[in-house]
Amino acid sequence: MAWRPGSKSLMAHIPTHSFWRAVAQCLAGSIAVALLTFGCFHFQVTPATVGLLYLIAVVLVSLTGALVPSLLVSIIASQCMNYFFTEPLFSFSMNHPLDFVALVVFPGTALIVTRLISTRRRAMDVLLVQASLLNLTHDTVFVRDTSDVITYWNRGAEERYGWTSEEAVGQVSHHLAQTIFPAPLEAINAELLRTGRWEGELTHTRRDGTKIVVASRWALQRDQSGNPVSVLETNNDISERKRAEEQLRKLNDELEQRVIDRTTELVATNKELEAFTYSVSHDLRAPLRHMAGYTELIQKNAPAVLDEKSRRYMRMIADAAKRMGELIDDLLAFSRIGRAETQKTMVSLDQLVKEALSDVRQDQGGRDIVWRVGELRNVYGDRSMLRLALCNLVANAVKFTRTRPRAEIEIGRADGKADEIVVFIKDNGVGFEMKYVNKLFGVFQRLHRTEEFEGTGIGLATVQRIINRHGGKVWAEGMVDRGATFYFSVPKS
Amino acid sequence: MHELGRILIVEDDPSDVELTLTALEEYNLANEVVVTRDGEEALDYLYCRGKFQTRTGENPAVVLLDLKLPKVNGLEVLQQIKGDEKLGMIPVVVLTSSREEGDMVSSYKLGVNAFVVKPVDFHEFVNAIKELGIFWAVINDPPPGSVKKK
Repeated sequence: MAWRPGSKSLMAHIPTHSFWRAVAQCLAGSIAVALLTFGCFHFQVTPATVGLLYLIAVVLVSLTGALVPSLLVSIIASQCMNYFFTEPLFSFSMNHPLDFVALVVFPGTALIVTRLISTRRRAMDVLLVQASLLNLTHDTVFVRDTSDVITYWNRGAEERYGWTSEEAVGQVSHHLAQTIFPAPLEAINAELLRTGRWEGELTHTRRDGTKIVVASRWALQRDQSGNPVSVLETNNDISERKRAEEQLRKLNDELEQRVIDRTTELVATNKELEAFTYSVSHDLRAPLRHMAGYTELIQKNAPAVLDEKSRRYMRMIADAAKRMGELIDDLLAFSRIGRAETQKTMVSLDQLVKEALSDVRQDQGGRDIVWRVGELRNVYGDRSMLRLALCNLVANAVKFTRTRPRAEIEIGRADGKADEIVVFIKDNGVGFEMKYVNKLFGVFQRLHRTEEFEGTGIGLATVQRIINRHGGKVWAEGMVDRGATFYFSVPKS
Repeated sequence: MHELGRILIVEDDPSDVELTLTALEEYNLANEVVVTRDGEEALDYLYCRGKFQTRTGENPAVVLLDLKLPKVNGLEVLQQIKGDEKLGMIPVVVLTSSREEGDMVSSYKLGVNAFVVKPVDFHEFVNAIKELGIFWAVINDPPPGSVKKK
């Protein structure tokens, strides 16, 4: 909740008794003057003595009372003086020039004296009020002289440190609070002398022994000739903030450490994974090569002892070894795509399609394929990865149209969002059942038996991984015997 | 008959050794073949030390080097050979099980003369070994200081 100025002004809270106090002072003053006059008259004192007594009365009233009562009493007193004690008595005759002088001089003098005294008193009052203001602040304020002896100690200091003003004044401040400075005291004092100010963080020990951190501001007071007189020190307790900062810093450090630990773990895992794939690629392929090699050698060296069935078995072993070799190769290629850094540049999809087609055409072996290639565009991506994706998709189309006497394969651009390019590869091949569409892009997932269509089941998974790494999507549509269409989207930039 | 250069095979897998030798024999390339079974032995051979102390100091016409080897691996052997003043000119062919791009790049950076991935299919394997043997041990003129038999 925020506090706002209310309808009731602050003035309304000030008590009205000052008026009545003034009235009371007027009455008291008047009575005093009357009694004085009566006394002087009764005891037949000389006018000079009366004048002096009046003056004392006026001064006393001025010192204790406000301006108006003082003025009133002064005027009454001076007129009484004139009337009762200045010759001729009991009259305001203006026979003698001295009478006129007395009439003006007495009230005039009284007025000036009253005025001077009350002005000075008011200034003192203001000073006192201002001085007491320092006691109102929650900040710790104290003043020390040039030898660091405390000369003033406000209420905030009493509360903050635990020593009363009486206890603190007269002590050397740095000893009392066991100040720990952020820099040598000589350097701090040098700066204070040079600039008149100093700011910094200090550690103090309170009366109860607890330590606090304060934001300290020092201001140097100089006398009229420029010599240092005293230092005003204002301290704000920032222990809480410091603790919070410290905690935050600790948390940050911990977080940083955790990130470092995690990264180290990840790097280690990655290294292990790399070592694993390296080992797979070397150590798993060698036995396969040996299987293939030795079965081949048996067939070659002892063709006579093998019947047709055994020769077929030998061929099966060799084929299985070869197939496993392909599986390992594809799997390694697939895992490499996940690990490799993408090196993105502007890539012409038209050029990539041309390259993919020339790759595939070498293997199409006299088949009748009608190619329809539309114009594609440039995209921002990893050239070799995108080339592999396109090659896989084109090879896929060629493979699954094999049963068609006349294959038709179309490559072009489809509608997509404004910030992406959608490419499709459409064929009139054997197609697939839409209920298996989710399995198309899984690793080792195949929708056809090996006898029908060879393959390792990694090609489309590779395509998906490549496109995903470009921030795009892959999807497919198909119908059994009605062909299939594969789509992929790549962001333009 | 062509001149036949000596082939140094560095291969730890006995089956690979046998199949390689078989392939070489098939084309009569195997009579000048030395087989070492790890990187250390290969270096011992090349530097004529250890059990090869007594051999004549001529270099092989080609080294067929596997990468995954016990003790001193293939890349370290390659680095040693190519960094040595006397051995640096010997043609080295890395013959490895797998097309690891990192291995390929490191090998070429170290100055390998050829990088061949052993095919799984035996016919292809035999072909590859044969062609390597013919090229490096017969067709290619090895640097001075290599064994070449008339």
